Amino acid sequence: MKALRAFWFRPEMRRKMKFQREADPEWAQQVAQRPGCEGLFSCLQCGTCSGTCPLSIYMDFAPRRIIGLVREGFREDALGCQTIWLCASCYACAVHCPRQIRITDVMYSLKREALQYKLYPRRFPIPVLAQEFYGIVSDRGRSSEFWLVLRMALHSNPLQLLTLIGTGWRLFRTGRLSLHKEQIEHVKELQAELAGRRGT
Amino acid sequence: MRTGVYVCHCGTNIAGTIDVHALIGYAGSLPGVALAREYKYMCSDPGQELIRQDICDYKLDRVVVAACSPHLHEKTFRQAVEQAGLNPFYCHMVNLREHDSWVHADKPAATEKAMDLVRAAVRRVKWHVPLERRQVPVHAEVLVVGGGIAGIDAALTLANAGKHVYLVEREPTIGGHMAQFDKTFPTLDCAACILTPKMTAVKAHRNITLWTYSEVRQVEGYVGNYSVTVRRKPRYVIEKLCVGCLECIQACVYKQAKVPDPFNLGLSKRKPVYIPFPQAVPQVVAIDPETCIEFKSGKCKKTCVEVCAERNAIDFKQQAEIQTIQVGAIILATGFDVFDGARIPYYGYGLYPNVYTALEIERLVNASGPTGGEVVLRDGRKPASVGIVHCVGSRDLHTNRYCSRVCCMYSLKLAHLIKEKTGADVYNFYIDIRAPGKAFEEFYNRVAEEGVVFVRGKAADVYPAGNGDGRLIVQAEDTLLGMIRKIPVDMVVLATGLEPRADANDVRRLFNIGCSGDGFFLERHPKLAPVNTFADGIFLAGCCQGPKDIPDTVAQSGAAAAQALALIDAGVVELEPNTAHVLEDACSGCKTCLPLCPYSAISFVEEKKARINEVLCKGCGTCVAACPSGSIRQNLFEDEEIFEEIDGLLASAAVGGGPVRIQGDL
Repeated sequence: MKALRAFWFRPEMRRKMKFQREADPEWAQQVAQRPGCEGLFSCLQCGTCSGTCPLSIYMDFAPRRIIGLVREGFREDALGCQTIWLCASCYACAVHCPRQIRITDVMYSLKREALQYKLYPRRFPIPVLAQEFYGIVSDRGRSSEFWLVLRMALHSNPLQLLTLIGTGWRLFRTGRLSLHKEQIEHVKELQAELAGRRGT
Repeated sequence: MRTGVYVCHCGTNIAGTIDVHALIGYAGSLPGVALAREYKYMCSDPGQELIRQDICDYKLDRVVVAACSPHLHEKTFRQAVEQAGLNPFYCHMVNLREHDSWVHADKPAATEKAMDLVRAAVRRVKWHVPLERRQVPVHAEVLVVGGGIAGIDAALTLANAGKHVYLVEREPTIGGHMAQFDKTFPTLDCAACILTPKMTAVKAHRNITLWTYSEVRQVEGYVGNYSVTVRRKPRYVIEKLCVGCLECIQACVYKQAKVPDPFNLGLSKRKPVYIPFPQAVPQVVAIDPETCIEFKSGKCKKTCVEVCAERNAIDFKQQAEIQTIQVGAIILATGFDVFDGARIPYYGYGLYPNVYTALEIERLVNASGPTGGEVVLRDGRKPASVGIVHCVGSRDLHTNRYCSRVCCMYSLKLAHLIKEKTGADVYNFYIDIRAPGKAFEEFYNRVAEEGVVFVRGKAADVYPAGNGDGRLIVQAEDTLLGMIRKIPVDMVVLATGLEPRADANDVRRLFNIGCSGDGFFLERHPKLAPVNTFADGIFLAGCCQGPKDIPDTVAQSGAAAAQALALIDAGVVELEPNTAHVLEDACSGCKTCLPLCPYSAISFVEEKKARINEVLCKGCGTCVAACPSGSIRQNLFEDEEIFEEIDGLLASAAVGGGPVRIQGDL
C-alpha cells in the first residue's frame, strides 16, 4: 500500500530559483508610484507586517515577502499568489510598519491588477467572489445573496455546493435566503453610468 | 580696477553641469576684469599658486574665485591672496557648486545662472575695502559640561596638559550612564573597574574644579572669552566637611528605604539622604528635599545631624550658589536619554511586569545593583527563557529614524551575561545585527556559539500566554525560515535606543549651537570637523552629538580636548573683521538696535549714541537692517557692496537689457 502511494503521489518538485530575466524592475517602479504604494523601496524586510498579520499563518507568501517580490519585480508571483486575497484589510501591518509603508494599500493595488489581467489563482474563492459580486451589482444595482453564493461556488468549487445544501435549505426555510433577484429601480441608468466610466 | 576671475572645475562637480569654458569667456568680457581662468582644482597648491602668480604678473587688485562654498575654502583663497601681497578681503568667493551645479540638471540654464553669479561678484568686489583682522587674548581655562565618560576623559586630558578645567555635572556624582553598566562589550571589562579610576583621578586632579549637582545657567561672550554662570544646587550637605562616612544614611529616621532609587531605575529604594552608588565621586551624600521629613514638616528628629555632630556637614538652610567663571573654550558632553519603552504600546512595557528595558537588566546583572547581581523576575524567580527585542525606538519612523548603534552589541553582551548567570534560553529578535567595531564580529560569533538563538525578524507583539502560566509570548516572523514564530519567554528585554536629552533644545539655545534633524547637537562638518560646532570655541564629545559606544566616545572626547587645547594654547584668537560699527554723527540715539543684538554687543554711551563692541559683534547684521537712520554699517556688507551685487545679479533680467535700479537710500 505504502509503495503504491509513493508511486501515485510523487511529490511535485518546483524550481526555487529565479532568473533575472523573469524580473520586471520597471513594473516594480510603476507599482511604487501608485497612490498608497509609496515607500516600497524603503522596506527593511524586518517582518513586522507578517508578525502582526492575523492571517499570515495561512498565506503562501507572508506580507513581507509580497513587498520583497514586488520590489524585485517578480510580477507573476506577486499577482498570482493567494496572500493578497487573504488580506482582511485590518491595517495592522500598515500601523506597525517602521517605514510607514501602507502595506494594505499595496495589497489592494495588486488585487486590482490581478483581476484586470486575470492573473489571480483560478478557482480560489475570494477573487471569484469579488468578481461575481461586482458582476451582480453592476448588472442589477443590488446584491442577491443566493445567486452570489451560487455563482461563486460554480466558478470556484462546484462540489462544495453539495456540502452547502443542508445549510442552504435551513436558511431558506427560515426565510433567511431568498431566490428573488433584487434590482434597483433605474437599473438602465446605472448601467449607462458604469459603461461611461469604464469608457473613460 | 583689475579683477581676476578664477573658475574651479571641482573635478566634474562644477564642470559636469556648468559650461566652464563659456563662463570664463563671459567673465573675461565683463568691465574691470583683467583676466579669467579655469582650473581643475582651484584649491590645490598649483591652483593657489596660479592666483598668486597672476596677482604679481598682471597687477591684479581684486580676485573672484568661483568654486565651492566659502564655508570650505574662503580661508584658503584669502590666504593665497594675502601671500601675494594683496589685502585678503579683496578676494570674494562665488558658490558655484552648492548654489548652482549641485542643485541644477539643465546645463545651459545652470551656465546662465553661473554667469549671473559671477557678474554679481565682479561688480561687488570692486567696492571692497582693505580690512584688518583683530587679535584678542584667550582665557586658558576650559569648561566641560557633563561628567559622564566623555566629560571625564576630556577634562583629564586637558588637566594633564596643564590647563585648568571646570567640570560641571548635573547629578550629585560624576560617572554618567557608564556607571550604571555592568560589563562593557566586546571585552566584558567591568565598567566600574575601568571608570572609577578615572572618576577618582578627576577628584584628585589639582587642575580640575569639580562642580557636581550644578547646572550652567548663562553663557556670554565669544571664542576665547566666554563668561559662564553656573548654578550650584543645594545638596544640603557641605561638600568640604562631608567625608563620605555614610553614617547619616544609617541614622536617618527612615529605618527602611522608601524612595525609588533613580540610579537603579526604580528597581530598588533609597532613603531621603543618599549617595547615588558606592563609588560615587565626590563621596558626598545629598538630601532629597522632596522626600526628607525635615523639609516636608520641619518636625524631624534630625538623627542625621546628631550623628554628624562632630563634622556638622548637614545644613538644611543651604542655598543655591551662583558662580561665574571665565573660560576660553567649552566642551559639551551632555550625553543622551534612554528611549522610554512605554512609547511602543505593543511591547507592553509598564503593563506586563516582566518586560524590562536593557538598562534595567544592566542594573540587575550588576553586583551592586538592586538584586546583588542576580537576574531574577519581579517575583524573585529565575527566568528559564528570555527574549531580547532589538531596535526599540530605533530605525522606526514612528519613534526615531536613526540606528542607535550600540543596542546590537549591548544586546549580545546582555544575552551572554543572562545565559551565564541563569542558564536561560535567550532569543534575540533582530532586524540586522550591526557588529562593525574592533572585535565585535568575533564577540557576535562567540555569543552565537554559546547557544543564544537569533531570530531574524522584528518582534511584532508581546502578550501573555493564554494558559495563564505567567509567561509572555513574543511573536515575530522568522524571516529566514519564512514562518511566524510565537516564542514563550519568562522575561522580555527591550533593547531601547538612545535619544537626545529631553532638554537638548534648551541647552542648544544656551550655548548658541545647532541640532541636526534627529535632535542631537550638530557638528560643524560630519567628516572633517566632527567635534567642532558652528560656535567657535564650543566643542562636542560623546553621545550629545549622536549615539555612540564607549570607545568612540572616548576617542571623540580626546579629539574635543585636543581642539580646545589648540585654541587656548595659542594664547590669542583672530576675529573676523565683518563686524558692524555706528556712524556716530548720524546716530540719533533711538535705541532701536539695543534690544535686537543677540550678542549684547551694543551699548548706549553718554553722548546719547549707540556703540558696538567689535569684539562681541558676530556680524549677524540685525542692527544694520534695523537702524532707521541707516547709521550702522557693516564691514564686508556695506550698502554699496550689497546693492551692486544685487544689480549685478539681476542685470540679465532687466527690461531692455539695462540694469535694474534698486530703489534705496545708498
